[in-house]
Amino acid sequence: MKQQPIIEAEGLTKVYEDGHCALDHVSFGVQPGEVFCLLGGNGAGKTTTINIFLGFLPQTEGTAKIHGVDMHADPLEAKKHVAYLSDVVMLYPNFTARQNLDFFARLGGKRNLTKEQYYSVLRQVGLQEMAFEQKLKGFSKGMRQKVGLAIAIIKEAPAIILDEPTSGLDPKAANEFQSMILHLRSQGRAILMSTHDIFRAKEVADTVGIMNDGKMLTIKSRKELEHEDLEKLYLNYIHGKVAA
Amino acid sequence: MIKILLEKELRDIVSSTKFAITFGAAAILVILSFYVGIRNYEESTREFEAARAVNASNVASLTDWRQVQHKVFRKPQPLQVLVSGVTNDIGRTTEVRPHGELTLINSRYNVDPLFAVFRFLDLNFVVIIVFSLFAILFGYDAINGEKESGTLKLILSNSVSRADVVLSKLLGSFLALVVPLLVPILIGCLMLIGFGVPMSGTDWVQLALVIGGGLLCFGVFLMLSIMISASVTRSSASFLFSLVIWIFSVLIIPKGAVLVAAQAVDVPSLDGVEAQKRKFTLGQFDQRFQKMGEFLRADITRDETWSQRFVAFQDSLNKAYEKEREEYYRKLNEDWRNKKDHQEQWAFALSRLSPTAVFQIAAMNLANTDVSLKHRYLEDLNRYQDEYAEFLRKKTGSSGGMQIVMRFSGQQGAQEEERKSLNPTELPEFAERGRTLGETISASFADLGLLALLNILFFVGAFVRFLRFDVR
Ligand SMILES: Nc1ncnc2c1ncn2[C@@H]1O[C@H](COP(=O)(O)OP(=O)(O)O)[C@@H](O)[C@H]1O
Ligand SMILES: [Mg+2]
Repeated sequence: MKQQPIIEAEGLTKVYEDGHCALDHVSFGVQPGEVFCLLGGNGAGKTTTINIFLGFLPQTEGTAKIHGVDMHADPLEAKKHVAYLSDVVMLYPNFTARQNLDFFARLGGKRNLTKEQYYSVLRQVGLQEMAFEQKLKGFSKGMRQKVGLAIAIIKEAPAIILDEPTSGLDPKAANEFQSMILHLRSQGRAILMSTHDIFRAKEVADTVGIMNDGKMLTIKSRKELEHEDLEKLYLNYIHGKVAA
Repeated sequence: MIKILLEKELRDIVSSTKFAITFGAAAILVILSFYVGIRNYEESTREFEAARAVNASNVASLTDWRQVQHKVFRKPQPLQVLVSGVTNDIGRTTEVRPHGELTLINSRYNVDPLFAVFRFLDLNFVVIIVFSLFAILFGYDAINGEKESGTLKLILSNSVSRADVVLSKLLGSFLALVVPLLVPILIGCLMLIGFGVPMSGTDWVQLALVIGGGLLCFGVFLMLSIMISASVTRSSASFLFSLVIWIFSVLIIPKGAVLVAAQAVDVPSLDGVEAQKRKFTLGQFDQRFQKMGEFLRADITRDETWSQRFVAFQDSLNKAYEKEREEYYRKLNEDWRNKKDHQEQWAFALSRLSPTAVFQIAAMNLANTDVSLKHRYLEDLNRYQDEYAEFLRKKTGSSGGMQIVMRFSGQQGAQEEERKSLNPTELPEFAERGRTLGETISASFADLGLLALLNILFFVGAFVRFLRFDVR
């Protein structure tokens, strides 16, 4: 029984000003409680897709909807329902972890949270207690990623979009990150994340969309993947050995 | 929304190390500029009083007004030490003779070398160099810096309009920097009061306008650098851009404008003008001696009234020549002045390409230390000269000028008893008329308006650029 997807792409196409076609009629949907992985190499079109979903970039054709709202038609309404974790998470180095969280929480519409509520989310993403009130200046990439995730979580949006969230993290941090994603899934969030890491995709995804050169080559569910070697499948697809 | 963004902007700026360091430096320089100005003012005033006292005692040591070499001095003005402008470049002392051209003698009161070294450190300088740099340091990465740290995308992934984001950026950074800058300025003003600098109500209004102009100048650089930050992808590039504009504004345009104007409008050198005057005067001398010889040969009866007749003849001769010379000089001066004005207009028009130059022009006009100060001062002197000539006429019965006094030995005793010391307080008081507040404001109005306009222009520019900014 299919519900209305929270994150929905229909025939998304993007032709850049230089004539390069970065997205070619890409369609997919992400249900509540589903983790959808966009899997593809550099230049496949993953970031372009995500940028269109957040209204950072207008599409040439097709629609991108969040919670049934067209991002291009009504960005301010659509953005109420989506939380985002950018691939660069420097955040504000002069603010503490809590101050960063506080600023973005209020921007996301959470106006009256207590210090304890902030701490609880920071604890949830696994940031050490002593770092809560420290300026972000001295934070490692993994710690900043955790604060970034806390920012995405605290908004309590039904859709969460993450661009290459585990790239640049050490294995331990990446693993912790993964369990957070699964926790969010269990809360019924629709999660769209991009990655070029086949292993990570297999571990965390309910659905994998293999992208190459702006095309969605195939979309496979976890069930379908159970009997297949994702790595082989991926390589076959991008080398055109399997008809899409 | 805008409140949240504004609050973050203020907090982000004020909590940064960059702010602590640069604001600290700016604050010290502002306070120092007031302090140096106050010290210079006190020093100049002391010297001024001393020089006047010397002049008075010189007068008191004489017995005949005809022997007096009367000097007047430009009185130091409080605002002139905060915005020195041309004050240090034009003379401060003038020997007033009842006739002839008056020149300013370039003797400085202030001989304290320490303060002479720091004289450049006036409020005007601090605004031009420090405020504008301060603005650029916080403006250059205002937009693209947030892009580089990923926070811009994070902000815009929320239900926030771009207009709100850029407005809070522009207003927030202006407030976060201007409000702290007001603190050292306020301390400076309190120092003026504390050190007992006699600031009139008009002075305060003018100082307030100078400070307002300084903040507008600061705003221009802030808005401009934010606009650049919203136009260039990388913050390192926008820093370079802003810095180049700063260098052009502070160093190249003002100097270049003067050079270009000098090339475009030819003004004869002052030495050349002086030479022409000398030549004319020498010609008059020759004529005069000829005329006097004629008189001496024609009027040969040496009776009691002869000496009076001779004086009267010389007076009428002097008057005629004086008039002729004055006319000739006036024509020469006017001609030179017109060309010079024309050249200055060119230089100022060109230098107004630079916002700091616009501020400087406005500030000098407000402090009455603009380039026409010398002109105004000479006008005051000429007025005073007439007054002084009238005074001498009353005292000596002659309008002065070149006189050959002939005395007969028999009259000696009668004159002896008149020889009392002169009373210097009888001299008419020299006072610069200065400009009224209205005149001052109207002289600076256009430039202050231009600064305000540039603020608006770059504000709108930054706004529009940000709406089109590629946040990816
Ligand atoms: N602004 C742009 N103008 C032109 N081409 C672009 C632009 N941005 C990205 N591209 C191209 O679009 C393709 C997809 O890029 P991207 O979505 O960033 O890929 P991914 O995130 O999967 O690595 C690439 O070939 C890239 O070179
Ligand atoms: Mg990418």
